[in-house]
Amino acid sequence: MKTKVVIILALTLGCISQIHSQNLLDQLNKVQNDSVFEVAATFKATRLSIGHSVETRKKNVLEISAMTRYWNTAAETSNSFVADKMSARFGLDYGISDRLTAGLGWSTQGSVWDGFLKYRLLRQQNKGNIVSVTLLQTATHRDFDVAATNTYDDGSGSLGFGDKLAFTSQILIARKFTRNFSLQIAPTYVHRNTSIFQGDSDQYAVGIGGRYKLGPHVSVVSEYYYVVNPVDNPNTNGPFSLGVNWELSDLMLQFKMTNNGAFVEDTFITKTRNNFNFRDGNFYFGFQATFFIQL
Amino acid sequence: MGKQLLFGFAFLLLSLTAPEQFITRQGTVTFFSYTNVENIQATNNQVLSLFSPSDSGIAVSILMRAFVFEKSLMQEHFNESYIESDLYPQATFEGTVVDFDPNIQGEQTRIVKGDFTLKDVTKSREIKVKITKTDTGYNIEGDFNVSIKDHNIKVPGLLSPNIAETINVSFNFQYEPYEN
Repeated sequence: MKTKVVIILALTLGCISQIHSQNLLDQLNKVQNDSVFEVAATFKATRLSIGHSVETRKKNVLEISAMTRYWNTAAETSNSFVADKMSARFGLDYGISDRLTAGLGWSTQGSVWDGFLKYRLLRQQNKGNIVSVTLLQTATHRDFDVAATNTYDDGSGSLGFGDKLAFTSQILIARKFTRNFSLQIAPTYVHRNTSIFQGDSDQYAVGIGGRYKLGPHVSVVSEYYYVVNPVDNPNTNGPFSLGVNWELSDLMLQFKMTNNGAFVEDTFITKTRNNFNFRDGNFYFGFQATFFIQL
Repeated sequence: MGKQLLFGFAFLLLSLTAPEQFITRQGTVTFFSYTNVENIQATNNQVLSLFSPSDSGIAVSILMRAFVFEKSLMQEHFNESYIESDLYPQATFEGTVVDFDPNIQGEQTRIVKGDFTLKDVTKSREIKVKITKTDTGYNIEGDFNVSIKDHNIKVPGLLSPNIAETINVSFNFQYEPYEN
């Protein structure tokens, strides 16, 4: 009996001392409940490479961007400095709220005005949402005349404002698989109010893109769009891009190799005439600088 | 009979010796980086800390993700490139208050000695704090400097003028009794 009492007493005391020796930090870690949080920075910029990414800008952030492409013509001899031709798009993107971003841009090639609204529907979380989903709607206005189109000429010889519009809708779905690797899939619908080639008024495409982070500030990105119903004539190819994104504080530099010189979705997704290779006329070098300002 | 008595005694002993602890779940930690180029400030209002006056023990857990910056882009860079909060979600401190006297009503200035861990690098530190006994608990505040080199925080050469080498960290914890 006595030995039993001693054992129980010893055990109890042992328990007490163990409770005491458990340090404060371990106790704190138990208090710290596993909170749900959103996975940050699936991609570093609102453009993956040539197309949009799921990222939107936070409220009151203004992005000023200059996108340029340089390429050589297929002509054998060329006397141009650096490149034969170039095109550019200048754009402003503004974060209306943490979820909604609006943008406006002007491209030199064909004098295209474009605007877009981008809404961040779902954000990937550590537990819960497994993907981020962003909706994108763009509208473009380009100058072309009746002669270039398939439309019936009503005799006025010109197209109205509405006739010069084209629209692209995208559902951007992305997941950050590891801290370095993110993948995006983008079902796309392109609609043109005025058809230029047979069958180009409604077109569907699927975009796939990914990024791999090489270091804290540098990542490799690639993007490809598969067009489901390409026009029969002329022959078109899916746009492809391979590039490097380099982040410098509030400046983002994007370098890319691609097979098209257009910047607006409806053009580059469905109307890329060249295949991707390094021959003159097919190879485009792209450089894009984006500057962020917190208003 | 003897057994019941023993259990009663053990229970009494347990409840008596359970130390009184104080907790804060909304502690504030703010850091500043002053350079000629730009000043950066961020605040975290969800800092967790336990204070045990009986043995002067103190523990702090800072969730790095919860720091809020004025510029959203800075917050992203902080988490993604500098602190890497996905790999190192918390900074912690564990230590004791030297010569703490729980009987002093009001204010006392003391040194806290302990280990500060940030990005898996632990440095022993001595931090001067002001401890104030309040109606229900304690209030502890103070500040200290952290050298970013000490904690494996790499800043690319191009950006080194923007980020101070020494970051000033200030904190304010209001403790309430903790029922565990």
